Amino acid sequence: MKRCLASCCLLVALACSGPASAGGDAAAGQSKSTVCISCHGAGGNAPISPEYPKLAGQHDDYLQNALRDYQKGARKDPVMSAQAANLTPQDILDLAAYFSSQAGNLTVKY
Amino acid sequence: MKTLLIIAITGLLCGSAFAVEGNAESAKGKISMCQGCHGIYDYKATFPKVYRVPMIAGQQSGYIAKALAAYKSGTRTQPNMRAIAESLSDQDIADLAAYYGSAK
Repeated sequence: MKRCLASCCLLVALACSGPASAGGDAAAGQSKSTVCISCHGAGGNAPISPEYPKLAGQHDDYLQNALRDYQKGARKDPVMSAQAANLTPQDILDLAAYFSSQAGNLTVKY
Repeated sequence: MKTLLIIAITGLLCGSAFAVEGNAESAKGKISMCQGCHGIYDYKATFPKVYRVPMIAGQQSGYIAKALAAYKSGTRTQPNMRAIAESLSDQDIADLAAYYGSAK
């Protein structure tokens, strides 16, 4: 019985761990994206400079990683380092969920 | 002497004007090392962190060139990308940026 309970707990834990994208709320991300789209354009798909990346449709886990790297200083950019500095872990999940859900023309080209 | 100085300063100010022009057609012989990861749907980088590598086809060419230059100089540090970018010439970078930037 005890062993069965332990197995059940393990199963529940596994089921709840989910993919890396778990926990991001795209709608919440949109409301936090005002400052992002002032450079990356509407939906993150129309950057104001050719040196700024499109974000629309990009993988959410890549976007999360980029923001965390800026925050930690592992990736440096005068604009982005400052922008990422004040984001909470939830902000990062939400923003990544929002931009990855936007229609764009980023693709995997074979 | 003065002329030399003026030429040198002008050269510095116009640095970006001398940037290499990319040719998407020439990139076709250089993309195999990119495609091994970026050409596979949902391919994941596995070291030092696990996440899907970015989709780069259709990305802004200026951004791709800037990213590759940053990996080459070491200011961006992902180990696989550093190793690859170190082997790229300025012409290679410009060609790859033109190729992926023009992808539809």
